[in-house]
Amino acid sequence: MIDFIQTTLDGLSIGSAYALIALGFTLVFGVMRRINLSYGPSIMLGAFAGTWAFVTLEAQPWLVAVVTIAGTVAVGMYVERLCFWAIRKDAAIASMVSSFVIWMQLEEVATILLPGRTYPYPELFKFGGIDIGPYFLRMEHVTTLAVAMFMLVVLRLLLYRTRFGLALRAVSESSEAAVYMGISPVRITFWAFVFASFIGGVAGYLLLAADQQVTPYFGLWATFKGLIAMMLGGLGSIPGAIVGGLLLGVIEAHTQWYLGNAVKDLTAYLVLFLVLVLRPGGLLGQGIVERHAQAFRRI
Amino acid sequence: MAFYFGLLQTIGIHTLLGLSAYILLLTGQLSLAQVGFFAIGAYVSGILTVIFEYHIVPGLFLGALVGGLFAFLVGFPALRVKGLMLVVATIAFSEIVRLFFFNLNWRVSVNGVEVGPDSTQGFREIRFYAANGWDTLDVVLFVWLFVVIVMALLWWLDRVRVGATLRAVGADELAAQSSGVNIVAVKVSAMTGGGIIAGLAGGLYAHSATYVDHLTFSVLLATFAVAYPILGGLSSVFGTLIAVIFVQGVLIEGMRFLGDWRNILFGLLIIIAMNVRPAGLIDGKVVLRIREALGTGKKSGGEGHAETR
Repeated sequence: MIDFIQTTLDGLSIGSAYALIALGFTLVFGVMRRINLSYGPSIMLGAFAGTWAFVTLEAQPWLVAVVTIAGTVAVGMYVERLCFWAIRKDAAIASMVSSFVIWMQLEEVATILLPGRTYPYPELFKFGGIDIGPYFLRMEHVTTLAVAMFMLVVLRLLLYRTRFGLALRAVSESSEAAVYMGISPVRITFWAFVFASFIGGVAGYLLLAADQQVTPYFGLWATFKGLIAMMLGGLGSIPGAIVGGLLLGVIEAHTQWYLGNAVKDLTAYLVLFLVLVLRPGGLLGQGIVERHAQAFRRI
Repeated sequence: MAFYFGLLQTIGIHTLLGLSAYILLLTGQLSLAQVGFFAIGAYVSGILTVIFEYHIVPGLFLGALVGGLFAFLVGFPALRVKGLMLVVATIAFSEIVRLFFFNLNWRVSVNGVEVGPDSTQGFREIRFYAANGWDTLDVVLFVWLFVVIVMALLWWLDRVRVGATLRAVGADELAAQSSGVNIVAVKVSAMTGGGIIAGLAGGLYAHSATYVDHLTFSVLLATFAVAYPILGGLSSVFGTLIAVIFVQGVLIEGMRFLGDWRNILFGLLIIIAMNVRPAGLIDGKVVLRIREALGTGKKSGGEGHAETR
């Protein structure tokens, strides 16, 4: 029983990082109805900028965090201009293919920037963790959980308490109608992208600080985890992204603990496939499927 | 010369893979499961020729058939999801297949040599061509025989009712359904056809490369498979062929001298191509112009919707 709860706790903490990445995906998908495959790689490149600062300039952990997040946002802006702003609105598939080749580009830039495979990444706290009764929580995990909750609150306030959030939701509902209200979808999309990249940068920093290393494979890995979490929870739904992320973390932790590492990824994909087939739109996304069936039939 | 023969084999195999995604794209399904069927075809035909010592033709045939069978089985649940959800569900399928082969260990002793898939080490020594004295020219001709057959078949399908039905489902499902098209049958057959072609391509790949492992069948290859027909345009099967030659011949091999910078320029060129021609290199207008030039200008309804993509 102690094992079970401890594994669940570990799963929840890694799951909260997945949830953050899924939030970034949801934000972009919600506004544009397009999928950005190079979301993970842009986080990876941001993290490489961070680790470059750490290795060559011996920067402090907080500075590494700032460089990582700023780098991710910069790369995110580049991706948005090239793959989404430049390509016509009705060519959603063309955007996806473009974001995929950008991903190859970003991986190449990362390997040119730092030609080795694995680089160290500074940990957040020197002291190990906290004990609660028989359970042990790593400090990084506590931070990840706390930051994920904080970002959720911020996102919620941004979307439902500000004029920008109102405009964003209007564009998400119908960009044609939003234009008549004097909202510029291009501008809103751009800022949604920047904000999503910011969330991604935070998630990337937290994940990598817990791992203490970064490799070029992180990009693909992050894209997948984010996509799975978003799909499990529900397409375009913010609570769905959180639930999906946490669920994915818990499922992975348990299968790894009880069935071994080889089965871990297999189970995650199997669960995803079953959820998508039995309940298209994810666990919390049923309503949105009907509403936007027309909108994303094309992509 | 060996280099060009190798390149020709790659182009042929990738064309088949692209065409398997092309059929599905005609019906409006963006599937990344093609690489899963490709992997199934590669492993099944490899196991048949290596462990059971089949001739390559029945080996390829059975590999393609098993690929098609799995595609048929995936086709039904895939009906329930559309668009982005189909993309992710098919990624999940491909990854399940990849991880299955990652864990597959089936070592058998054939003629005193231990052969077969060796989980993480991959499946080595698929040496049918070498063992039977085929030289590279034979292999190239063998691969291109299948490419020509499949392309001719698809080109012909586009000229008859079947092609119009596929495109009708892709253009507007609701309208197609109200005109009496059986959506389920069309989509599942397209998926099965795509699976058969992908399985065939996988079998050819395994024997050309003589070595397969799970890393080959990543999402990278799956995305390449759908990128070819999208880049080439859905108006004609030749679009896919031209896109494969453009990507494999010009962008990948032609720019090898650039070294590390190749991938960066590669990405940029594809993005420019997608920006300039969002409906693909060979879109409806080009096809129409070619037909007029050849004097075979047939004003069929096939092109109209292709431009809206």
